[in-house]
Amino acid sequence: MAVETAERPTTQASNDSVATQSSRFQRYRIRTGMFAWMMHRLTGVGLVAYLIVHVWGLKSLSDPAAFNALIAKYHAPIYKIGEFGLLVAVVYHAINGLRIVLIDFLGWSPKQKKLFWTLGAVALVLIVVGGYPSIYALAQWMGA
Amino acid sequence: MARSSNALNWFLHRITGTFLVFMLITHFWVQHYDHQVASVTTDVVTEKGEMPAYSEEARAGVKARFGDEAEVTPYNVVMQRLADPVYAVLWKGFNILFLIVAVHHGFYGLNNVLTDYIRNPMGRAMARVLSWGTGLVLLIIGLYSVITAGW
Repeated sequence: MAVETAERPTTQASNDSVATQSSRFQRYRIRTGMFAWMMHRLTGVGLVAYLIVHVWGLKSLSDPAAFNALIAKYHAPIYKIGEFGLLVAVVYHAINGLRIVLIDFLGWSPKQKKLFWTLGAVALVLIVVGGYPSIYALAQWMGA
Repeated sequence: MARSSNALNWFLHRITGTFLVFMLITHFWVQHYDHQVASVTTDVVTEKGEMPAYSEEARAGVKARFGDEAEVTPYNVVMQRLADPVYAVLWKGFNILFLIVAVHHGFYGLNNVLTDYIRNPMGRAMARVLSWGTGLVLLIIGLYSVITAGW
């Protein structure tokens, strides 16, 4: 991926000091595409963390009582918020990933501006429709 | 690692990503929207140990499978799907494929992120071992859970 850089580091890669390494985040110029890429990374790392917790939790399938306790726990209000956050991360990562695949494999780069905003609208609809039950349950609980 | 195998993994990352979109839609639908088998309901339960309430379809399904005495618990709602041998094999097959694809995608991605910021060769090697090692452990745990579920 072509990355916009404000300036090239002057030191050689072999004798990079800790000081120049710590500045590498600041070299990026944040534009729409760059922001999309950073969010892709952040949500990606978050989803790996979730994958570990999720698969680890499935071990309890070997014990009905433990599985029931786990699922009951997942219905606590805090997990409903987490559920919504998970949906947002998944939808964002999936739609942005799809955008990358369409641009790279199908050569849709000439239409990328249009593609970006179209997929953005699709993502928003998916988050609203898919996230409604979690938010509704939370609102019900707060009202009760 | 040889350069060619990095290219293969990069290519696989795109392919697994595309597959995951469709597999996640299926997973999401089954777990949250299918009224009979969704194991997570649109319910907030705050009492410790209290079970979420299930839909009429889920209650009917559990009782049809396991008898009128059967309790409608999250475990039994999941077990409905595995009670029919044909569906059990289909769902286990789907979940094994889903697990392999998700673990490869996640941990190759994690390795990519880590090695983008780590420059010294020793650190990169450690990041690689950490990513693939954690992925492998998770794959084994997941495979065990999927294969033995309902035994």
